Amino acid sequence: MAIKALQTISTGRNGVGAFILQCKRIDIHFCDWAGSSKGMNGFIKSLLPKFAAAHPQIEFVVSPRPSKHPVAIGHYINGREKAICVRNMEPYQILKKLELLRDASGEKLKVTKPVQSINESVRGIWSPYHGNGMKV
Amino acid sequence: MKRLRVDRWTGQLLVASSSRPATPGVAAALRSRRCLSTTTTTRHQSAVAAEAVAPIYENAENVAPSDLRFPPLDKTLPANASSLPSPLPERALHSPKLAALHARLTLSPKIPLQTLARALVDASADPNPQFNNSNLAFVGQTLINYHASEWFMMHYPRLPMEVLYAAMKGLGGDPSLNKVAMSWGIEAAAAPGGEVDPGLLQFSLESTGDSILGFGYKRSEVNKLQNSKWRRGVASRVVLDNDFGEIVSRNFGVKHDGEEAEPTEKDITSYGNAVKRAISQKAHANCMRAVVGAVYTHCGRDAVKSFIKAHVLSRTIDLSKLFEFKHPTLELAMLCSREEFEPPVARLLSETGRLSRTPVFVVGIYSGKDKLGEGSGASLEQARWKASMNALKAWYLYSPGEDVRMPSDMLEEDAKPWEPAYIDIGEIISR
Repeated sequence: MAIKALQTISTGRNGVGAFILQCKRIDIHFCDWAGSSKGMNGFIKSLLPKFAAAHPQIEFVVSPRPSKHPVAIGHYINGREKAICVRNMEPYQILKKLELLRDASGEKLKVTKPVQSINESVRGIWSPYHGNGMKV
Repeated sequence: MKRLRVDRWTGQLLVASSSRPATPGVAAALRSRRCLSTTTTTRHQSAVAAEAVAPIYENAENVAPSDLRFPPLDKTLPANASSLPSPLPERALHSPKLAALHARLTLSPKIPLQTLARALVDASADPNPQFNNSNLAFVGQTLINYHASEWFMMHYPRLPMEVLYAAMKGLGGDPSLNKVAMSWGIEAAAAPGGEVDPGLLQFSLESTGDSILGFGYKRSEVNKLQNSKWRRGVASRVVLDNDFGEIVSRNFGVKHDGEEAEPTEKDITSYGNAVKRAISQKAHANCMRAVVGAVYTHCGRDAVKSFIKAHVLSRTIDLSKLFEFKHPTLELAMLCSREEFEPPVARLLSETGRLSRTPVFVVGIYSGKDKLGEGSGASLEQARWKASMNALKAWYLYSPGEDVRMPSDMLEEDAKPWEPAYIDIGEIISR
């Protein structure tokens, strides 16, 4: 007789209310010996302390990976990860790559699609059944 | 000559107080061994108490030479860590995960890392309420539900009670808060224990813990309600049941005759079975509530209000999708008679393809000259029903506006005098 209720779950959108940085961890791998890690070793010594201090919301893990190219791997809240090989790069190039990892959402790269919104359309959907119509 | 090994000595030798030990090294080893063996799992939440009995850390003296070559990664891990149910509070200061979480949520520096670490320990992992999050979660849940119910009551004063309950659960229930905790990037430990990183959420899938969360009374007829589907009136739900109008039951994932609920084949997926998913969901939600409780405890009322607004009330929930009508036309007629409107009349506004396979009828419901609602459907009857449902939803979802004042606004300093809020007389047909 009376109204019954259906159950739903609210949907949140990052940035509406609070913004949470999607990159939660960056793994940095280097090699002491190999030439391709030269820039990475310089980056770890000179630029990484400042970068890490500026981003307390990201956990930085620095670990050696002997006889391999240097890699920076970003781990994201949605469970995905993004790995960038930074072999033979200069420290400032590596900084750019880390900024890319920081700003990424972790989603797969997609072909740009129209914006999808969960908000109701302000104008409403056009209806053929309303209005005066058009004489052909 | 073979060296004497301390651990092979008999009890007599260990008990006897040797005034002059043979070598100083042996005496030191003896002392450290006694310290280790008498260490109890004493834990303290406050920093003052922790100074009295410090836990023994594995330092160079009592680590075997083979371990020195591969020192433990976490230097703060005490020797007796694995015997504790949850990590020691002082280890929270050394966890990068925890510090990152603190910064990610932009929590105030007033909230110490130890409290955040405690918010991550579920009652199922550590039954001691001084070390788990049940107290903080209780505070958090009370605050979240207070602000959510206040928001709904002020913005939609005509919401029927059942829909209000569903909306409350949709915003502040376990599934929703689980999503919030997930969106914060909270990771769960594989199994709880003292050696786990304090930055991981710890809960047990085996035992469910008994944290008391929320208000409500356990009904004596709870078995009949669940197994025989007895009717529950809304009035009794308001008095007896919890904040979401659900039956209060301490048995979680367990049937009421005592035996554990066996997951059916349908429930088991690659993400575990339904019971385990529910346990995980509850643990994540309680962790989120505990963080809210921690914000209130350390930063106060205003901070927690803006925190809840930012993380819970800002989420979108479509209230018009929560209604399920049984007799919409009858209910609309009763509404019109109650409000002394003219009786509702359905009129066909436009139609197309009446004799085709896919006809469309647009029907409007009028009370005198006022159009109450409009709906379209593939048959005249369906269109009329939809039109009455839309008219009823338009009534129930009346809102005085976005910038309506909340009762909690009155708690601020220099608040303007309260203007009475709109209070509706109630549902058209109540159960």
